[in-house]
Amino acid sequence: MDFFILVWRNSFRKKIRFWLTCISVMVAFFLFSMLSGVNHALTVSVSDSNQYRLITSHKISLTQSLAINTQQKVAALAGVKQVSYASWFGGYFQNEKNQLAVTAVGHENYFTLFPEYLIPKQQLAQWQKTRTGIVIGQAIADKYGWKIGDQVPLSSSIWMNKSGSFNWSFTVAAIYKSKKQSAENNKIFFQHAYFDQGRAYAQNSVSWLSTEIKAQANVDSVIQSIDRLFAHTNSPTRTTTEQVFIKEQAQQFIDMAMVINLVVIAVFFTLLLIVCNTMIQTIRERSNESAMMKALGFSSMTLIKSIYFESLLLLGLGAGIGSLTAGILITFISQRFNDFLPGISLTPSHYITVFVLVNSAAAFCSAFPALAIKRIVISETLGGKS
Amino acid sequence: MKNNNDIILKDINKSYQKGDNTVVVLDHFNLTINSGEFVALMGPSGLGKSTLLHLMGGLDQPTSGEMVIGAQRIDNLKEAQFTKWRAENIGFVFQSHHLLPVLSAQGNVELPLALTPLNKKQRQEHASYALELVGMSDRSKHYPKELSGGQEQRVAIARAIVSDPNILLCDEPTGNLDRKTANEILAILAQLNRDFGKTIVMVTHDNKAAEYATRVINLESYMLEQNKCTVGEN
Ligand SMILES: Nc1ncnc2c1ncn2[C@@H]1O[C@H](COP(=O)(O)OP(=O)(O)O)[C@@H](O)[C@H]1O
Ligand SMILES: [Mg+2]
Repeated sequence: MDFFILVWRNSFRKKIRFWLTCISVMVAFFLFSMLSGVNHALTVSVSDSNQYRLITSHKISLTQSLAINTQQKVAALAGVKQVSYASWFGGYFQNEKNQLAVTAVGHENYFTLFPEYLIPKQQLAQWQKTRTGIVIGQAIADKYGWKIGDQVPLSSSIWMNKSGSFNWSFTVAAIYKSKKQSAENNKIFFQHAYFDQGRAYAQNSVSWLSTEIKAQANVDSVIQSIDRLFAHTNSPTRTTTEQVFIKEQAQQFIDMAMVINLVVIAVFFTLLLIVCNTMIQTIRERSNESAMMKALGFSSMTLIKSIYFESLLLLGLGAGIGSLTAGILITFISQRFNDFLPGISLTPSHYITVFVLVNSAAAFCSAFPALAIKRIVISETLGGKS
Repeated sequence: MKNNNDIILKDINKSYQKGDNTVVVLDHFNLTINSGEFVALMGPSGLGKSTLLHLMGGLDQPTSGEMVIGAQRIDNLKEAQFTKWRAENIGFVFQSHHLLPVLSAQGNVELPLALTPLNKKQRQEHASYALELVGMSDRSKHYPKELSGGQEQRVAIARAIVSDPNILLCDEPTGNLDRKTANEILAILAQLNRDFGKTIVMVTHDNKAAEYATRVINLESYMLEQNKCTVGEN
């Protein structure tokens, strides 16, 4: 009790120095928390995908299409449970600024392959019966105020329809909620059949296949057998797990994650030096007092504990304020950035990381003072006529 | 019943290694201080007075020799044992008070009691009593920077006696003080010796100290004397 009063008062002896150091701790942890919030968004959208689903696209690029009957050929392979397909629509609403993630999908089974999109049974059945029907995410429904039954015109920046227009008309048939943590409730799906018959060219083709493999099947051998099947055709394929696929798409983000980590490491290293230096200075200024306390019978361990708690207070206060400020800011910007980069958030594990970092930094920063305390020879320190 | 607090130094050697040189400070040194004495140790600078005091208080260890304090050998104690022994038996007063600036007079005096099993209230009482003994009751809430040099030294004495050690070791306690204040401090020490039976060893340059002490040792001539005896015996 008294011990902590002493720690508290000692901490604030040099108020300016305390607060300057504390602010640098604050800034570092603020930065760390903001970046880790962004990092969460990057890693979560990557690791949420089912690793037992495969994506097959044209070997050269995603913009080259595959024949629609590749679906049946893949479905016939051993180890494959079911196959669906999809094509990228490149949609927007009214204005090219309102970009939407619109995909034409095989309406028979696409959503059995992707159970993470939760659609009420009736609505799903209704959509499957509605040729022009769209399934929209809850976020889209909220944003545009669209309800089931609404007629919605969407435009494509890629696909012209048979009437020579880029405007396509749709009917809202179902609304889904994603059960994934990154809450990707901002997509739109419609029937591939409507797309294929409606478009002016490139009939009977799809952009990619999605394949679910059987639980006991070997992922790598299924991948190989799919690609081998088309190796010598006009459209050779490249198949990967969905995870790898999304990772590749997000490659520039992944690199950003590495940059973030490097920045964080650099900041922490600097921070450690600053705090360490402060603590060393502190203990040097107090060598007389430390020697006196030793002469009174206080052990080195008590003095070391006291300097540890001083470091802990300094770091804890700075880290606490810094991370909480970031946490508050992140709840604001995560709403703003939800379309662009969903999933910006601070997890409980981030706060645990902060806690661990603070404690180990405190231990590190009291290591040199601890040595200095251990080395104090009372008679030498107090003997002089200081 | 009064404890035996005799301080017996037998054939003490103390030398410091400075690079290749060995500085011999105490050479076959013998001294006995009886329980209840107030000894003034005098002598020129650099003679080894502080060293001697540090040895008696367990702040430093002799190169060789035997030290018995209160019928206990202390020259072979381990550091942790030494620390505990010191907290229970010795009070120090240095030329500089070394009070903690972040604690009030009361807080500073209570500090050593944190090492005892006394509870908060008892610690407050003991500290108040110690402050009363040195005439600082009315300043107990003051912080060191609000006190004069003499007052700081009084608080330091209160801190030295608060856990009721039998022996007080003072290294030039009046060295930084003016005549009048120095006299007040010496009077307090003399009172602690007379009324409370504290054994006091005080290093001083102050000739006035002789008037308060029960024995004055001029260390320079004492050492010469001892060496003569040793030579004479051979
Ligand atoms: N820690 C030390 N290391 C080396 N020499 C020391 C040390 N402490 C004291 N000495 C030497 O021992 C001698 C006695 O010192 P000291 O006991 O402080 O003298 P006094 O208190 O009588 O002035 C001096 O020559 C001093 O230089
Ligand atoms: Mg001295």
